[in-house]
Amino acid sequence: MMSRLRLSGTALWSLALFVCLALVLLAPLLPWIAAFPRDLQLPLADWANLVLNPVFSTLQPLGRGFASGIDIPLRWLRDFLLFVPWPAFAFLLFLVALRMAGPGFAVFAMVTQIYIVAVGYWPQTMNTFAIVLLSLPPAILIGFALGAAGHRWPRLEGPLTALLDLMQTFPAFAYLIPLLIVFGFGPAAGMIASVIFAIPPMARNTIVGLREVPVVTLEAAVMSGATPTQLFWTAKLPAAARQLLVGVNQTTMASLSMVIIVAIIGGFNDIGWEVLSAMRSAELGRSLLAGVVIVALAVTLDRITRALATGSPNGVQLLPDRALAAVLGVVLCLAVVLRLALPGLDLLPPGVGFATAKALDAQLLDFVRWSDPVFSALRDALNYGVILPLRIGFAASASPMVWGFTLQPWMIAVYCIAIAGTALLLFRRPAWALLALFAGLVCYTGLAQFPWPCVVIIALLGAAQVRGLGLVAVVLIATLMILLSGMWQPFVQSLYLTAIAVSICVVIGGMIGIAAAENDRVSRIVRPISDTLQTLPQFVFLIPALMLFRVGEFTALIAIVLYAIVPPIRYVEHGLRGVPGHLTEAAVQMGANRWQLLRDVKLPLAGPAIRLGINQTIMYAISMLVIAALVGTRDLGQQVYVALGNANSGLGFVSGLSIALLAIIADRMLRKS
Amino acid sequence: MRKISKPRAATSAIALAAMLAAGGASAAELGDVDTPIKLAVLEWTGAQLSTQLAGMVLTKAGYSVEYVPAGSFPQYSGLSDGTLSATIEIWSNNVGDIYPRALEAGDIENIGSLGLETREGWAYPKFMEQICPGLPDWTALQDPACVTALTTTDTLPNGRLLDYPADWGSRSGEIIADNALPLTAIPAGSEGAMLAELRAAEATQSPLLLMFWAPHHVLSEIKVGWVDMPPCTSDDPDDCIQPPEVEKVVWSGFKDKWPAGYEILKQFQVMSPDQERMMAAVLEKGDSLEDVAAGWIAENQDVWQPWLDAALD
Repeated sequence: MMSRLRLSGTALWSLALFVCLALVLLAPLLPWIAAFPRDLQLPLADWANLVLNPVFSTLQPLGRGFASGIDIPLRWLRDFLLFVPWPAFAFLLFLVALRMAGPGFAVFAMVTQIYIVAVGYWPQTMNTFAIVLLSLPPAILIGFALGAAGHRWPRLEGPLTALLDLMQTFPAFAYLIPLLIVFGFGPAAGMIASVIFAIPPMARNTIVGLREVPVVTLEAAVMSGATPTQLFWTAKLPAAARQLLVGVNQTTMASLSMVIIVAIIGGFNDIGWEVLSAMRSAELGRSLLAGVVIVALAVTLDRITRALATGSPNGVQLLPDRALAAVLGVVLCLAVVLRLALPGLDLLPPGVGFATAKALDAQLLDFVRWSDPVFSALRDALNYGVILPLRIGFAASASPMVWGFTLQPWMIAVYCIAIAGTALLLFRRPAWALLALFAGLVCYTGLAQFPWPCVVIIALLGAAQVRGLGLVAVVLIATLMILLSGMWQPFVQSLYLTAIAVSICVVIGGMIGIAAAENDRVSRIVRPISDTLQTLPQFVFLIPALMLFRVGEFTALIAIVLYAIVPPIRYVEHGLRGVPGHLTEAAVQMGANRWQLLRDVKLPLAGPAIRLGINQTIMYAISMLVIAALVGTRDLGQQVYVALGNANSGLGFVSGLSIALLAIIADRMLRKS
Repeated sequence: MRKISKPRAATSAIALAAMLAAGGASAAELGDVDTPIKLAVLEWTGAQLSTQLAGMVLTKAGYSVEYVPAGSFPQYSGLSDGTLSATIEIWSNNVGDIYPRALEAGDIENIGSLGLETREGWAYPKFMEQICPGLPDWTALQDPACVTALTTTDTLPNGRLLDYPADWGSRSGEIIADNALPLTAIPAGSEGAMLAELRAAEATQSPLLLMFWAPHHVLSEIKVGWVDMPPCTSDDPDDCIQPPEVEKVVWSGFKDKWPAGYEILKQFQVMSPDQERMMAAVLEKGDSLEDVAAGWIAENQDVWQPWLDAALD
């Protein structure tokens, strides 16, 4: 049965290959193959506007009321945080950190507070902190409610998962205009975007946590006569508490990662605003100083909430918790009284941020100047050797303009023979042979010119093989929407940026992950770098990348890779380290050397973790598309900005949905059922 | 967009008629001095300075002013419902369609030019004159050697013109086509990208031609030359290079709520040399925005006092 299935799959793919080959050969004769006919395109964005704008207007009174409701506690919280003198705040944080995560972390928390004050970003940081703090309770509660509903009514789980996927992958930039229409200008609109993005991790963890409550616990509860409600609150919930707290941790991080989006709307002098205006004037120093504040905030919140989930194993308990709470309260009251008595006392020294930022900027420019010979050669090599050929293909690259020679018929022959030969060598593994042939075809035409029907056929076939009809329907809807709305070219651009970025990330990140798993010292060095790459606002990477590689796709690629390389590093290391000791010992005793051990034992066993890592890499890469558009790409992300600049909610909706569907389809294809 | 209800429209019409009868910019009521006037603070230093100056002048008149950071696209949402009261420095070159649309909807009001002397056009770092000897004349850009120097993989075989970001809207593509220039306009993606390119080009002496505008703070750091643009052949002025308008915009209810403030803002002007000097103080010396603006206010009472007098007396 298995082999017949595989055979029929191979046969289908071979058929698809022949169809694609025919389409490639016919493309010069039939223009509708090369580009989707303009006459068939539909004004989908305008239609979306027709439907959506009345909806938004109807929601407006409700949204505005809601927003002004949020504004009041937000102002209070912000004013209070700014009112408490910073040494008191830092001391409180120190005590909490000590209790939750131990002395090392407490010192770290103290040092970061001093850093924030020294560079002069204390007020901005407290404003950001206020937004994050206030967006957490609704995100956690709604996420929990959604997750509990999904658990209670299993039929809801399918649609719920789809909704959560959309919430996480639909770029916030794409619904900024609707948010502004409904909720009005101000931090409330940004906060709502942040809540939307932060709900899914909580909901997912709630579902997992409730599902994995041991049957024994449930049976015991049922036998002691618990009603379904009691069963939920007294048996399931306590048993799932750990997983729920993991959800709280991830929701906190997600909410923090939206700081920049909140700032784009404005209305609040927060730290994200500082990063944005530094990006606008291309000042690396300032954006880095502000970015590090966000990293510090992220690490602090991460460690504290993670300690909640793990029961603070490293915490130092100086006092019983109740006494500690009393001490915290007293310190806070004293601080407030002190500030009331001396209203002018904010204890903030003049920041030294400016001089440091200037020095950093000058150093970056010195580096750009000094390294120019290397980077201009690298830039040319990569652009002419990799990026351009991938886009326009072997056939067009072999021209005097690009590679310095004209394409001769014998070159095509050699190319075909090389590809066919590779496929023949792989004949024992038909799937690989087919992959080589497809790759050869794509490299010949280039991704931008690869006939669109082929992309559709490949996507449909892949969807059918991996997941069946449900995914086929999604692929069909997505490709139709993209083709009909005339966004095929931006879509292909996004597709290939993502594909190249993910390949680079998986290879390089994977190798770093292996090194980190094999060597503790490497692991210790890599971990803080990964943390920083993941939490530093991506905008900070853009400036040096632009100066070294200039406006264009390659810079976008660098920015995407820097962000999306973290998951493969993390998951490969995690997977390899998770291989049970007795299995590796058995292999060593059978005489496996280190390389064999890695290749034949550890990597196969770490497979599921690695696949999850690749999946996350794709999600990260796609989520960077919109930000990468700031360095001048022509992808879907750029469409999102154009929609924003024209206040066109419909265009934003269509391009945002295209990005979200691309992410969801990629995820489903990889996550084999 | 929500229509603003205007309970005081009738009275304000009478007031307006009375004012017109009295002739010119005559005395106006202060209006609601207890509610702060909320000025939008945009991302760039020039606008931040202009806003600070406007705010300080309004404070001198007796208003309380709140400075609210606002994104340059989202601000229109705030201006059209009064969440923001005014924005002082709107550049017509970087606003896309969102600004004309908001004006059309009638919820915001353009109260005239800020008075900055602006320019726009294709600029290049000074050393480009060695690479393309005919510069600043535009015909130098037809020279094959010059074009080759500007070529990148994105634009083969043409030279590259680094254009405004796609969401700003730009005219360079039409100008290139109208004059059959061997150039291709590549959108930069963001202002930050344009500045990073300009700084890197200056540092490494590598060729660059870009659409740019003045006054801009980077121009005190890098000397650029401006191409003498080809004569505009298009009938549509929007297809030609023209100095961008820099305008002051208020919420449609501003005039009724703060009549004198409205008159003051209408007269409020910032001169380019002043702004350039203040930008340099903020960006190069690290002086605080407030101090620099307060310095200007202290030294230029003869400039701003007449605005107050005209509005209040």
